[in-house]
Amino acid sequence: MRKAPAKTYEEISQNKVGFDYFRNKLKLKDIEAKNAFSKKYPHIDKYMKKKGISFEKIREHSAKILGAGALTGTLLLTPPSGLEYLPTPQEMIGKLTDSSKPISDLPQKTLIDLLRNFLPERVRALSRNEEKILEQMFEEVMGIKAKANLEGEHLNTTYGLIGAEQHLKRYPGDGVSNHGEGTVLKEGIAPGLGAWGYFAPSKEKLTPSLENTEKWYAVVQTLYLPDWNYRQPFLRNWYKYRKVLIVNTTNGNAVVASIADSGPAMWTGKNFGGSPEVMEYLGGPRYKKGPVIVFFVDDPDNQVPLGPVEYNKVNLPLVSMEKG
Amino acid sequence: MSKIFYDRLIVLEDFEKELKKKTSSKEEEFELWNLVDDILGHKVIDMILEKLPLKYHGEFIEKFVDAPFDEAIFDFLKEKIGENIEELVKEEIGDLAYNLLEDINEDKGKE
Repeated sequence: MRKAPAKTYEEISQNKVGFDYFRNKLKLKDIEAKNAFSKKYPHIDKYMKKKGISFEKIREHSAKILGAGALTGTLLLTPPSGLEYLPTPQEMIGKLTDSSKPISDLPQKTLIDLLRNFLPERVRALSRNEEKILEQMFEEVMGIKAKANLEGEHLNTTYGLIGAEQHLKRYPGDGVSNHGEGTVLKEGIAPGLGAWGYFAPSKEKLTPSLENTEKWYAVVQTLYLPDWNYRQPFLRNWYKYRKVLIVNTTNGNAVVASIADSGPAMWTGKNFGGSPEVMEYLGGPRYKKGPVIVFFVDDPDNQVPLGPVEYNKVNLPLVSMEKG
Repeated sequence: MSKIFYDRLIVLEDFEKELKKKTSSKEEEFELWNLVDDILGHKVIDMILEKLPLKYHGEFIEKFVDAPFDEAIFDFLKEKIGENIEELVKEEIGDLAYNLLEDINEDKGKE
């Protein structure tokens, strides 16, 4: 039955009304805050304007400085003849392990020790040299070719904090009960969709591969990339389901995941997110937040499967946590 | 990696959950996040400037613009203000979080 013209408002979703109302309210608050600030601190306002910086762009400005710093660090540290003076992962492994025992006996333990000695205590943007050593380290120890910079693309940070995310709706009508069983259901399902919408147009069209993509999904801050807005649709397509290697730097657990959502917000203090399955493998059922390395998997032939990287013969999360 | 020196003091988890319910796409979510972030930035810097003697305003803003991510700014503020500035920033953020939650809940009545 056709809807009476006067009742077309029924087609507007309740959430949309809520969104518009709240957005307008926030916009008003924002304008008020800006005006009050300029009036109260004209000298600060003048200085920032002179520098061409505003509060809206302060994060972008900060990211640019950090990015430039990492690059400068690389240029200063890199010997003119290339990377030959950098310690190789083999050298680092040799320094940190008992040479009488073969590395392959306890690769995860070896990696944890390497990371503990190599990484800064607090998460921060790494220099290209640091990233290159880690790339070699991961390939050597795990056998996964992963890159911080792949095809010219680089995340704002590769060493940051990961947080727990909810399941994503894979098709219209999908619910949390369809996402397996056990502790991974505890996180629930996100009310909205992932950054690329539904994985499939219907339940029937959800392939095992797409099911696996949602199961092992990662979240990265694409919307904070400095070139995100003007390199579209290229970046959107490039990042969609892009495989990443996530390494828990505390216990060495590693997962290959696919990027299926964008976030988290900067204010959360987190840089990445992981599906319930990703988080459970990285740190156990109660793992909510922790430091990780995230690199793109260099896998042009799609040979690397999503899911746990079982390079370790013995899973050592508790041992390493106790030590940490 | 912190982009702004006070980032680690921001705790808005409850608000974030409510905000996610309001939005139907990542773009919408980020639009609201950015607005909140902007309001929060003004409030925090306002509070800092209120506490900081006027003669140090220039030095502070210079440090902030040169390296917004540098947590050493807190050391400078502690020295010049002589109060536990981190705690004050936390309180300011807490107040804002409370107000935002109130706004978003009030908003529910408008739906």
